Amino acid sequence: MKKLLAQPASGQRVSVWLLAAALVLYPLVFSDAFYRDVGVTFLLAAISASAWNIVGGYAGQVSVGHSMFFGLGAYTPLLFYTLWGWPPLAGIPVGILLSVGLAVVIGLPTFRLSGHYFSMATIAVAELIRIFVGTWALVGGAIGLQGPAMARGWWDLTFRGDLPYYYIFLAVLALVLAVTFALERRRFGYYLRAIKSSERAARSLGVPVRRVKLQALALSAAFTSAAGSLYGVKTGFIDPDSGFGILVSVQMVIFAALGGAGTLFGPLLGALILVPLQTASNTWFGGGGSGLTFVLYGGIIVLIARFEPGGLFDLWRRLAPHLRRRAHAA
Amino acid sequence: MLLEARDVSKAFGDFRAVAGADLTVEAGEIVGLIGPNGAGKSTFFNCLAGDTLPTTGRILFDGADLTRAAPEAHARAGIGRTFQVPTTFDDMSVLANVMVGAFLRHPHRNDAREHARRIVELTGLRADQPARSLGTPGRKRLEIARVLASGPRLLLLDESLAGLTPGELQAAIALVRRIHQMGVTIVIVEHIMEVIMTLTRRVLVFNQGRVIASGTPEQVVRDEAVIEAYLGRGARRQRE
Amino acid sequence: MVLIQVIVGGLLLGAVYALFSSGLTLIWGMMNFINFAHGEFVMLGMYVALLVVVWLGGGPAAFGLAAAIALFALGVAVYALLIRHVVRGPMLAQILSSFGLALLLRYTAFWIFSANFVSLPQTSLAGTVAVGGIYLPVAQVVAGLVAVTLTIALHLLLTRSTLGSRLLAVAEDRTAAMLMGIRPDRMQALTWGLSAGAAGIAGALLATAYPWSPSVGETFGLLAFVTVALGGFGSVLGSLYAGLIIGLIEAISAYWLGAIYKDIVVYGLFVALLWLRPQGLMGKA
Ligand SMILES: Nc1ncnc2c1ncn2[C@@H]1O[C@H](COP(=O)(O)OP(=O)(O)O)[C@@H](O)[C@H]1O
Ligand SMILES: [Mg+2]
Repeated sequence: MKKLLAQPASGQRVSVWLLAAALVLYPLVFSDAFYRDVGVTFLLAAISASAWNIVGGYAGQVSVGHSMFFGLGAYTPLLFYTLWGWPPLAGIPVGILLSVGLAVVIGLPTFRLSGHYFSMATIAVAELIRIFVGTWALVGGAIGLQGPAMARGWWDLTFRGDLPYYYIFLAVLALVLAVTFALERRRFGYYLRAIKSSERAARSLGVPVRRVKLQALALSAAFTSAAGSLYGVKTGFIDPDSGFGILVSVQMVIFAALGGAGTLFGPLLGALILVPLQTASNTWFGGGGSGLTFVLYGGIIVLIARFEPGGLFDLWRRLAPHLRRRAHAA
Repeated sequence: MLLEARDVSKAFGDFRAVAGADLTVEAGEIVGLIGPNGAGKSTFFNCLAGDTLPTTGRILFDGADLTRAAPEAHARAGIGRTFQVPTTFDDMSVLANVMVGAFLRHPHRNDAREHARRIVELTGLRADQPARSLGTPGRKRLEIARVLASGPRLLLLDESLAGLTPGELQAAIALVRRIHQMGVTIVIVEHIMEVIMTLTRRVLVFNQGRVIASGTPEQVVRDEAVIEAYLGRGARRQRE
Repeated sequence: MVLIQVIVGGLLLGAVYALFSSGLTLIWGMMNFINFAHGEFVMLGMYVALLVVVWLGGGPAAFGLAAAIALFALGVAVYALLIRHVVRGPMLAQILSSFGLALLLRYTAFWIFSANFVSLPQTSLAGTVAVGGIYLPVAQVVAGLVAVTLTIALHLLLTRSTLGSRLLAVAEDRTAAMLMGIRPDRMQALTWGLSAGAAGIAGALLATAYPWSPSVGETFGLLAFVTVALGGFGSVLGSLYAGLIIGLIEAISAYWLGAIYKDIVVYGLFVALLWLRPQGLMGKA
C-alpha cells in the first residue's frame, strides 16, 4: 500500500488513461461536423509535432524544415494516384521511404557540424523543394494534385464523414507515442538525451553520435511523412504551400515547444492548446485571422525561447511542488 | 604495452600546443602527467582520446592503431577519459548519466541500470539526484563514475581531483586507488603534488608541448629542467 | 551585349546581397549564432525607406541613413531583450528565438502593410545610364556601388580598427576579453546593431531598384544563408565574393532558364555546398 502511494507514476498513468478515453469518446460526444473537424485537425497536429519531437525535442537537433517530409508524404500517394491510379494507401509507404532517403541526404553532411548548420539546411532544403515542386508540371506545379473523388474501396482512404479519419489518425497518434515511449526508456532514448546535452561527452562514452542522430531523424521523417499522407488523403488535395510551406514546419515546432520539447506528451499538449485557438481566430477573423495567428505564433515562440525553453511541462514540474506545498499549508 | 603514443603533435594554426610528445603506458600502471598551465596536457589527452586529430604522430592502443579513429571508437576500444571542465548531462539524473556510460558494454536497460547502480554506490553519489544540482566536485565525481561504467581499460583523468577540500581529496584518492585495483590502468593529470606523490610511481613532466622529464615523483621534483619550467629562468639563476 | 548587361546587373545586385550577408556572417563569427530573422531586417529596411519617402519626402541619402539607424537600434534592442538571454542556453532556445522573431516581424509586416507588392515613388535615382554601350538603371548602379563600398568598409572596420580588434577579442575568448577591460555584452550588442544596420541599408538600396512585399524577408534570409555558406562562416570578405558570385549565378540562370528557376539553382548550390564543402569556399571548419 505504502509502495503504491509512493509510486509517482501511478497518477500519470491515470491521467494517460483518462486522456485516451477522452480522445476515443470525443467525436461520439461532439458529433457536429465542425467539432469533428477540429478534432481531426488536432490529431494531425499532435502526430506531426510528436514526430518532430523525436529529433527536435529528444535529440535536440532543431529542424525548421520538417515540412519537406510532410510534403513528400502528402504528395506521394496523390501523385501515384494521379499518374497510375494507385490507391493512396499504396503510396504511403513509398512516401515514407522517400522521406527517410531525404533524411539521410540531409543528415549525413550536416550532423558532422554544429546544430545550427542542420537547422539552416532544413529550412533551405524545404524551401528548395517547395519552389521546385511549384515549377514541375508533372507533380501539378503551383496548382497541386487531387486525390480520388469517389472511393473505389477502403484502400482509397476516401471517406464521406470525418469519423473514419478521426479514428485512423488517433491510431497513428497512439502508434507514434507508443514508439516514442518505448524508445525513451531504451538505450536509444538515453543516447538521444545525452547527445542533446553534450555531444562531446556522449562520444567520449562510446555513443555513436552521428548514427544515433541519423536514426532519430529518419524515424522522425518517417512519422512526419505518414502525417503528411494522412493530411493528403483526408483533404484530397495538396499544393506546394500546404505541403512544403514554412508554416507547416512552424506548426510542428511551436506545438512541440509550447507543450515541452523532448517530453512524451508535450507536443500533444501544445496542439491541445493551440489548435482550438487557431480555429477560433480563423472563425472570428475570417481569412485575415491566419496572418494574425502567425503574428501570435511568432510572439509565443519568442517568449518560449526567452523564458521557458522547457515548455509548459517543464514549468509545471517546477511549479507543482510549490503549489502542492501551498495547498497543504492552506 | 597497453598504450604507445609516438611523436604526437597538435598545431592550432602556427602554434604547436603539443610538439612531439611520447608516452608509453604498461597495463596496470598509474602514470602522473604534470606541467604548468598551457603546457598542452589537455590537448594531448584530447589526441589520445580521439577528440582532436593529431597533426603528426601515432597512437597505438593494445597494438591497434587508433590515431585517426573517432572518440567513440576509442571508448569502445577501452580508452576512457574525463574532461578538465566537467561536461555532465545536466538534464538527467546521476543514475541516468552513469547509465549512458554503462550502455556501452550492457546494451539492455536492466543490465545497464544494475551496473550503473553498483558504480554509483562505489563512487558515493546519490542515484536519483539531478546532475544539474551537483557542484563542481560532484560533477567531477560523476564524470569518473560515468566513464568507469563504460568499462575502460585505460582511464585518462584530467584534473579530476582539482578544487576539492582536503577531506574530499582523501576520498577521491581512495576512489582512484579502488579503480586501479579493479584492474584499470590510469594516466592522471594533476597539479597537487600530494596526489601525484601518493598515487603514482612514474611521472612525466610536460612543458611547451613536450615531455621534458620523467621518472619517479621524487626524481622529477628535483630535476633542474622541471624547476625551470615551473618557476622560470630567474628562479634557477637565483638557486645557482 | 544583352549577356553583358545581365552579368553587370547580376554583379550589382550581388553586391547588395554581399552587404546584408556580411551582417549575418558577422553574428555567426562573433557568437556562433544563426539569425533566422536577418532577411526580415532587410525587409524592414525597405519599409523604413518607403515610410521616409512617403511621409517625410526624404531623398536617397535620408532614407538610407534612416534605415541604417532604425535597424541598428532594432538590432541592439533585439540583442538586449532577447538574444543575450538565450545565446548560452539550450540549442532549442537559440534557434527558436530568432526563428520566432522572423515570424513575428514577417507577419506583423503582412498585417500592417498587406501582402501587396509596393515600390518606392520616383526618387532622384530614376533613369538609366549608359556605360560602355550597355544601359543600366541609375538606382541599380548606385545601390551596387554603395553596397560594395560599405561591405569593404565593414571588413576594414573589423580588421583594421581598435573597435574591430575588441570585437574579435570577445569572439575569441569572452573571459579573457573581460579581463582586458572589454565589456562583452556591449560589444555583442554593437555587433547586432552593425549586423541589422547593414541589413537595413541593404534593404533601402534594394528598395530604390525593386518592388517588394513582406515575404521578401524569407527570400533574402535564405539568400544570406547561401551566401554565408559559400563565403565561409564568419568571413566578411568571403561574403563579399560569395554575394557577387551568387548575384551573377542568379542573373545568368534567370536569363538562360527563366526567372522561377534562379531560386532552384541557388538553393541547389546550397545543397551541393553542404555535401562538398560545408565550411564554405573560404571558411574554416
Ligand atoms: N582549440 C584550441 N585552439 C587554439 N588554441 C588552443 C586550443 N586548445 C588549446 N589551445 C592552446 O593550447 C595550449 C595548451 O592548452 P592545454 O592543452 O589546455 O594545456 P594544459 O592542459 O596543459 O593546461 C594553450 O596555450 C591553449 O591556449
Ligand atoms: Mg588542462
